[in-house]
Amino acid sequence: MKQFIKQMKHYARAVWAENIKEWKVELTYKPDFIRGLIDPLVYALPYLLYGIALVGGRNSKTLQGLVGSGDIITFVTLGYVFIGFLNMALWAMGFSLRKEQYWGTLESVFAAPVPRWVFAMGMAAHSTLHQGLMISVQLLVINLIFKLTINPAGILPSLLVVAVMLIALYGLGMMIASVTLVLKQGQLVSEALSGIMMIITPIAYPLAVLPLFLRKAAMFIPTTYGIMTVRHFLMGENMGFSVATSFFRLALLGIAWVTFGIIIFEIIDQRTRRTGTISHY
Amino acid sequence: MTFKNNLKIILAENKKTIDIALSYPIFLVFWGIAPLLWLLPFVFQGKALVGGMSSASFKALTGSANFLPFILIGTMVSTYIFSGLWGVGNSLREETYWGTLEYIIASPTNPVVVLLGKTLAEFILASANVTIQALIATFFLGVNLTLAKIFPVMVIVLLLLIGFYGFAIAFAGFTLLIKEVHGYVHSLEWVFYLFSPIRYPVEVSSITKTLSALIPLTYALVAIRGIILLNKHIVNLWQTMLILIGMDIVLIIGGYLLFQYLERKTRQAGTISQY
Repeated sequence: MKQFIKQMKHYARAVWAENIKEWKVELTYKPDFIRGLIDPLVYALPYLLYGIALVGGRNSKTLQGLVGSGDIITFVTLGYVFIGFLNMALWAMGFSLRKEQYWGTLESVFAAPVPRWVFAMGMAAHSTLHQGLMISVQLLVINLIFKLTINPAGILPSLLVVAVMLIALYGLGMMIASVTLVLKQGQLVSEALSGIMMIITPIAYPLAVLPLFLRKAAMFIPTTYGIMTVRHFLMGENMGFSVATSFFRLALLGIAWVTFGIIIFEIIDQRTRRTGTISHY
Repeated sequence: MTFKNNLKIILAENKKTIDIALSYPIFLVFWGIAPLLWLLPFVFQGKALVGGMSSASFKALTGSANFLPFILIGTMVSTYIFSGLWGVGNSLREETYWGTLEYIIASPTNPVVVLLGKTLAEFILASANVTIQALIATFFLGVNLTLAKIFPVMVIVLLLLIGFYGFAIAFAGFTLLIKEVHGYVHSLEWVFYLFSPIRYPVEVSSITKTLSALIPLTYALVAIRGIILLNKHIVNLWQTMLILIGMDIVLIIGGYLLFQYLERKTRQAGTISQY
């Protein structure tokens, strides 16, 4: 037991070191870092202004009929927060190994005396913290401009939902990260996945407006439950299923995606070692 | 260098860029279709907010109640802009990745001539992508793009692109100086999305309306939508065309001078070959 605790402490230090290393690299390029904080805000605004142009104000009777609340600004903003989490899995985590390759440090990272999952946890920790900061700035500025109307009592349970959802997204991120080891230039995979997920997750609209086959596909995406449950807690969205069901399905998706992510990661790791293509560019 | 020699270089560079692009056909198909994928969330958002495909308040702002063709036109025209931004603006940076920038700079050709070749190639590739989008819009989404409207639309697109490519050439000079501009290109993309009517009518806010007046894309989109959606004749859009011509002159001359200045500055600093 003592040995196990000692080893876990050793791993925790490695996870923290990976997180700190990423912050140091990013903070070296300050203008880029600041731009990264502003981008999600600029990204969300056209969707909000488009909504206002369609409705002629911030309240939509149609949306009220579909989800129980007509406030398009709060509805769309809370949905767009989750794009940040998707980006974390698809781009930040997904391209972390490729980034190490650009820097010429992938071989050193892989030769370190820790299991691969420790490295994956380190990049997940950094991505989560960085994304959390970006989302905070986005919410703060949109709240200053438009004044979001949320139920403060829903904030804590919302954070809990996000935490459970993140576990599933880490699995997705690990899978993409390992795929880049094979494809090398895997942007197209991330672009395509990101485009598809943007459509089927109910970010700026409820699931009810999607065709049936897309609604069914959305049920396998963790962010679907994350978005709907958070909006349920913060603005009373009618989900069509209970909060307990949502947590249960999120937990199931978490187990499934993480297992899938680890298996794919292991298979590709072994394959690239066997074929000797790890150092290929 | 004579005009004939420069023309040969432009055509050779054009061929080289297209050959490289055709080596990755999946990228070409993907970028032809992807902008239409990005459009779908707007369609579903519209359905969720107004319960159909048209809106009275949208009509009050744009003159057209149907929001799908509005966004489709924005998507197609912006394909040219973003391909120019990445393909021309970032092209010298790509030469750095390939290790061929020094050869271009050291050759007895003005780099602007090489950039003109890249610009021509980018225009051809973007036109191929827009054609795919226009065919999908016409046959699957019911947008009325008749041949009679294509000629005046192309005139406006060319007036937009002449100035924009001037800006992109200046941006290419910027990459010589600061090297990695990936993030800046992304930021510029979002500036265009936010302050020009690609995805929403900028008239919805006085701030976006005022700032959009500084961007040539705004005038081009208003004119093109006028021709396609409101059946306006190109002759009635002469004021917009004059503004675009004025912006073209400023951007082409300004872009050329700025590129020359940035290139000279990078040579003097001795940082051309730095990565």
